[in-house]
Amino acid sequence: MADVLTETVQPEDLKRFEKIYHEQLYRNDVTPKAQFEYGWCLVRSKYSADIKKGIILLEELYRTHEEGQRDYLYYLAIGNARLKEYSKALSYVRSFLSIEPGNQQVINLHQTIKKKMEKEGLVGMAMAGGVVLAVGAIVGFGMAIASKVKS
Amino acid sequence: MSAGPYNYSYIFKYIIIGDMGVGKSCLLHQFTEKKFMADCPHTIGVEFGTRIIEVSGQKIKLQIWDTAGQERFRAVTRSYYRGAAGALMVYDITRRSTYNHLSSWLTDTRNLTNPSTVIFLIGNKCDLEGQRDVTYEEASKFAEENGLMFVEASAKTGDNVEEAFLETAKKIYQSIQDGRLDLNAAESGVQHKPSQPGRNNLTDQPGNKDNCAC
Repeated sequence: MADVLTETVQPEDLKRFEKIYHEQLYRNDVTPKAQFEYGWCLVRSKYSADIKKGIILLEELYRTHEEGQRDYLYYLAIGNARLKEYSKALSYVRSFLSIEPGNQQVINLHQTIKKKMEKEGLVGMAMAGGVVLAVGAIVGFGMAIASKVKS
Repeated sequence: MSAGPYNYSYIFKYIIIGDMGVGKSCLLHQFTEKKFMADCPHTIGVEFGTRIIEVSGQKIKLQIWDTAGQERFRAVTRSYYRGAAGALMVYDITRRSTYNHLSSWLTDTRNLTNPSTVIFLIGNKCDLEGQRDVTYEEASKFAEENGLMFVEASAKTGDNVEEAFLETAKKIYQSIQDGRLDLNAAESGVQHKPSQPGRNNLTDQPGNKDNCAC
């Protein structure tokens, strides 16, 4: 199944944008464009080390280059979701939606991330801690009653 | 929820390209959701949509990559052209500049896709007849000269949107039937899914992995 979280960059494309970025880095003159293009390719890599590197580049852009912030937020969410850093990914999605609530592309990304979490059995894991305890307590209580009835 | 047998026999990869603001995402939304998205913000990078359609009794899943029109995304979005079976090239009938740029979009498409890729030209916003800046005849002639399929459509009213996506699929399907499109070729943009329930297609279709762009 292809979607924005599973499609991967072609190695030759990654190399091409890596080369441009490194040439600029060598001259100590990295443009936001080159850094974004390289970061965008990195977060779509199949290797998590690449994705992490891409996230660092995009985080730096997010802090320093206001103009492209919505682009950086979007790909930061994707990169983190691919690393299964779901709470971070969702916080990027939420901060995007707090600025552009109706953005269908980001709403779709939100749903895609949630579906991925569901597949991995992480439904509401973040908030489920308490629920699990509560369910455990109810089951325990029920069993206690059942055993009392039996005896 | 689980993998299960496929409920479609083919996957076709599409791309949607064209200048910013011509309504690419709105066409996709109209096609997948049957709704018009008013005040659609600029797409970031690429957006993705799917829908299962039927051509000649075969269920086909369309995987559609909707590319951002803004120039700053163009270097990277070019890599999504690879392995597209269909390309929807969109301009806005009320803005001549978006029509004038078609030859550059077409050059990119020809260079980055394969010869069997079906290219469909869409003149969007045909509901805005009063603001028309490009005549139907002119665009139709351009399409004919370049061997493209062509309609004028409206993502707002839904006119011809369905047709553009479906006609492209029909043409691709025809190419498969005629043997012009080689399913085993890398980057054909088409994957065949054997739809026998209970069969493990990982073992009986080793070729599929090579076709897959992911």
